[in-house]
Order: sequence, then C-alpha cells, then structure tokens
Amino acid sequence: MVKKIVPAAALVVAAALTLSACGGSDNDSKKPIADVSMEAKTQAATVLDQPFTKPALVLTDTHGKKYDLRKETEGKPTLIYFGYTNCPDVCPLIMSNIAVAKKSLPKADQDKLRVVFVTTDPERDTPASLGSWLKAQDPSFIGLTGDFPAIQAGARQIGIGIDAPKKEKDGTVVSMHGSQVIAFSPKTDKGYVLYSEDTTPDDYTKDLPKIVKGENP
Amino acid sequence: MNHRTALAGVLALTTGLTLAGCSSSSDKPELKVVGGFMPQPVNDMAAGFLVVRNNGTGNDRLTSVTSPLSDDVTIHETKDQVMREVTSFDVPAGGELDLERGGSHIMFMKLKRQPKEGQKVSVELHFEKAGAVKVDLPVKETTHNPKKQ
Repeated sequence: MVKKIVPAAALVVAAALTLSACGGSDNDSKKPIADVSMEAKTQAATVLDQPFTKPALVLTDTHGKKYDLRKETEGKPTLIYFGYTNCPDVCPLIMSNIAVAKKSLPKADQDKLRVVFVTTDPERDTPASLGSWLKAQDPSFIGLTGDFPAIQAGARQIGIGIDAPKKEKDGTVVSMHGSQVIAFSPKTDKGYVLYSEDTTPDDYTKDLPKIVKGENP
Repeated sequence: MNHRTALAGVLALTTGLTLAGCSSSSDKPELKVVGGFMPQPVNDMAAGFLVVRNNGTGNDRLTSVTSPLSDDVTIHETKDQVMREVTSFDVPAGGELDLERGGSHIMFMKLKRQPKEGQKVSVELHFEKAGAVKVDLPVKETTHNPKKQ
C-alpha cells in the first residue's frame, strides 16, 4: 500500500509543477489533487420507496419477433435501459459495464438475469443493427425496437423522459438516451433500484448478486 | 527517498523546464495533450477522450480533428442526455479542455478498421493558434473510465 502511495504523490507534485510554470492558474493546479480524494462515494444505487411497475411494452426483438416485456421477464431479475446505438460514449459504456458485472455472477444467476436495451432511435436502430451492437457487448442482452410513441410511453411509465430523434438542418440526427438503468425484482416484478450513468462495473458487480435474489442493495 | 520517487522528481523537473519558455512571448497558448484514450468500439463508430492543458498566456480553440481511422471525425458535447456536434472547443489560457466520458468527446464515424484493445490510433488535433498536434490514443477496454478509478 505504502509503495503505491509514494509514486502517486510524486505524480501530483509533478502535475502541479508543470501547471505552475506560467504562474497564471492557481485554480487549475488544484484540480488533479481534488480528483484523488473523489473516491469517498457511498453507494451507486438509488433505492425507491415507491417502486415502478414494469412498463407494458410490446415491441420487436433483435430476431424480428414480438417481445412482450412483462410476459418475457416475469419472475426474472431484469435491468432496463433506454438508449441508441449511434451513441459512441454513454450507451456502450453503460451496457458494457453491466456486461462486465454479469460475467462475475455464478452461471445459474447469469442465466436468470435479463438485460433489456430499448432503443430511443427506432428509425435507425433496426433489429439487425441493434442485434450486432448488443452482441459485441454480451450475446444474451435483449434489444427492443418499435414505434417511437410506444417506446416513449413505456419509458415514461418508469420515470424516464426521452424525446424523439430530431433531424438538424445539416442532416445529422440528434438522439437522446435515458438517464438511468432500472433494476426490477424477480419476486415482485417491480423496479426498486436506479443506477445513473456514473455507475461503474465494480458497483454493478457488488449489487447484481442481491438484485438477482430480489434484494435491494 | 526510494529509487522510484527520485525518478519521478527528475521527471517533474524536466517537465518544468520544457515549459519555462513560455514567459518570453505574450498571448501564446502552450498546449500539452495528456490522458488520451479510445474505448474499444462495439460497432463502426468510436469515441476519443483526452485532456488539453494550456499552460500559456493566450487562449486557443480546438477546431477539428483528423485521423487515418476515419474520414468522418467530429467533436461533440453531451448535455442533458443529448449529444450535439460543436464547431470548436475552448482551451483557455491557464486552463484545460477535458474530453471525458459522459461529457465532450471526439467522435469517429464509419471506421476503416476495428481498433482493438492494446492498439493505438493516431489523431491530429487542429488548433486555431497552435496548429496541428499529433497524438496517439491507446485503445482501452470498452468500459475504461479514468475518472472512476
């Protein structure tokens, strides 16, 4: 432990030195030092007093088949996230974080867990493109697409506000992803737990065993 | 003081020396790019992250990025769960431009190849005053997020 701390401290000093070379910016030279002490985070999960009911979503899965969310995930621990695949940063980060954590579960629990990604950009996310995007992260992940109003209504039932993709003047499409992943209990099929996009693979790894059992982290 | 600390000390000194030149001319940006990386992409688009420090006395702006990886490279900010292309990012004198996960980033579309973890992707950052700066972005795992470590 001591060995690790020493070089880190030296690095901070080095960073401070490089920044003070021009003498202009005292504020910025403090930045890296503040970051070091950011680890005092208590818990990643937000547990709700009033859980969400699973949204009544009937959409199309990545095989082009009808998928009734309530029926297919009944009695299964389920994570739901709304995003889109033309999203280079946050969407793959969240799904890959969950993929990493899922691998640490015992095989039987992995088989129980349902991870559902609902597209917020159904026009561009076809079942096929959604399928290949999810497969690169975890082949078991379920991808759903359909009519935007149905998707938006489903998201709203669990407190997630999304707007339809908008075409800008220059032709680029601006889409929107949800702010949270919601975990549903296998016991009650209710959503008790929220995770923000800042949730790390370690946070999920710590919480998933409880979520699979229907306990709150 | 052990061997490793001594080495770090020498490093710090060297960096200090290289930057000391900036007092001679006024209103000049002195840019340094650090902490760059690209998370291994999951489809034919990728994001790049890095920090540009400006130790000079003049403001600068990042206006574009080019790379052999893609002919379609743009810069984006993310606000309220929406990602938007911007025409430039400020790199203020004495400050820094942070392109970090969940925030602003470089976006590479229609990748010519799929970069894998452990490889490097070279990019050229174009600044309004400082001109072009070449950096190599190491490809990290998809979940790489330095601010969370």
